Amino acid sequence: MKLRTIEYFLQEVWRSLRRNNWMTFASVGTVAVSLFVLGVFLILVMNMNRMAGMLESQVQISVYLQDGLKEGRREMLQDEIEHMQGIESVKFVDRDEAKTRLAERLGDQQYLLDALGDKNPLPDAFEVTVKQPDMVETAAKSISQFEGVEEAKYGQDVVEHLFDITRLMRVFGLLLMVLLAGATLFIISNTIRLTVFARRKEIAIMKYVGATDWFIRWPFLLEGIVMGCLGGLLAALALRSFYGAMTAKIYDTLAFFPLLPQYPFMNYVTIGILLAGMFIGAVGSGVSLKRFLKV
Amino acid sequence: MPMIHMRNVCKVYEDTGAVALDHVDVDIAKGEFVFIVGASGAGKSTFIKMLFREELPSSGELIVNGHDVVNMERSEVPYLRRGLGVIFQDYRLLADKTVFENVAFAMQVIEAPRRTMQRSVNAVLDVVGLRDKYRSFPSQLSGGEQQRVAIARAIVNSPSIVIADEPTGNLDPETSWDIMDIFHRINQSGTTIVMATHDKNIVDTMQRRVIAIEDGKIVRDEARGVYGYEA
Repeated sequence: MKLRTIEYFLQEVWRSLRRNNWMTFASVGTVAVSLFVLGVFLILVMNMNRMAGMLESQVQISVYLQDGLKEGRREMLQDEIEHMQGIESVKFVDRDEAKTRLAERLGDQQYLLDALGDKNPLPDAFEVTVKQPDMVETAAKSISQFEGVEEAKYGQDVVEHLFDITRLMRVFGLLLMVLLAGATLFIISNTIRLTVFARRKEIAIMKYVGATDWFIRWPFLLEGIVMGCLGGLLAALALRSFYGAMTAKIYDTLAFFPLLPQYPFMNYVTIGILLAGMFIGAVGSGVSLKRFLKV
Repeated sequence: MPMIHMRNVCKVYEDTGAVALDHVDVDIAKGEFVFIVGASGAGKSTFIKMLFREELPSSGELIVNGHDVVNMERSEVPYLRRGLGVIFQDYRLLADKTVFENVAFAMQVIEAPRRTMQRSVNAVLDVVGLRDKYRSFPSQLSGGEQQRVAIARAIVNSPSIVIADEPTGNLDPETSWDIMDIFHRINQSGTTIVMATHDKNIVDTMQRRVIAIEDGKIVRDEARGVYGYEA
């Protein structure tokens, strides 16, 4: 495609967006609102997945050891647990590694850790994995009786609840997405239809003088993509401030809540939302071209 | 090979069942000037529209400027049309573009090189005598001038065939002769011209080949013909 042609296409798109300014506004607005709602669901589901995943990996039993336990005793303890029935694996996690993991989990809230300075309040621990989830409870109970064990924790039922909620959110989000995508497609294709109608004389002449089908189609397709992209941009900007506000609010009350850090997460969301907008725009105008542009 | 070659061409409109063309055989050679005459609804328009594949024959063989119109891929249609210049009774200019832009548009949409655009447009505006009005908009022009812009647009890509459907239908006799003069000059440069018309005066005076269509059939094909109907 020649540069001159691209220039021409862009001029046409600009002309048409301005000519249908109200429809353009409505289209961009609908795309923005739809993608915003979609984005909110995406953010919530992703965060809940992360939370659930985190807790699920804690379906393992965390066995915290008493401070100052001798290495020999620790090795014996590990051996004892390994030989219990139904135990899959026992992994030793020393306090330094535990601190590194906590740092990862804290995400945007590193300052909480910084406040500790060089001190490490975390104990040495075993990560015990059982063969079947239903063994967690009894295994945890027995382990907590062993000498040298401070505490044995697990979080199975929380995970179950969280998964239920996530599942519900996914279904609901998907349904809403389908509805919104439908509405968005409809309004974009309608706008493109208006453009096709406004330019029908031009299209006819283009055909008579031998413009190719794609030469005729491109400006309309681009118009849809531009509208989708603009809507996506608005939605992404709104989502970024939404997530910023949300994390601030939640951290205010629940300091250790494991939210996904804003960056790079929100950058991915932004890219995703922009692509989704462009895709919807392209499909919307494609629908219209198929129906109304007989080239 | 003739410029236009029709063998046994039939056209039946499927929705109404109307037979617009009935086993038509025609050959038109390069450089000919041909009038298509006949009453309204006789099949003239269908004949003309088939040449630039606005309509497809229902059966038969149709070769235009070396393109097999019947069997060509859809994607080849633009390339058929690039070799043709089409002119209509109602000019079909774009109201929001100037004279220059209207003509340049035809080059733009086939992605003609920008370097040649200015020169080619000026040259064809010279041919139709509108060089000095290149900045005017169609609404500022008379009917005859608008048709001349349409002709300029049709010939700017140097087509082998100019196809005109009642080009003087909306014009007064004097203006019509200006238009015919332009067609005459285009024809003299070697371009084939096929023109459907109702204008008895023009056909009788020009004394060119006349193909008369009645009820979808060719009833007369004379090398130096006359209109043959009451005006």
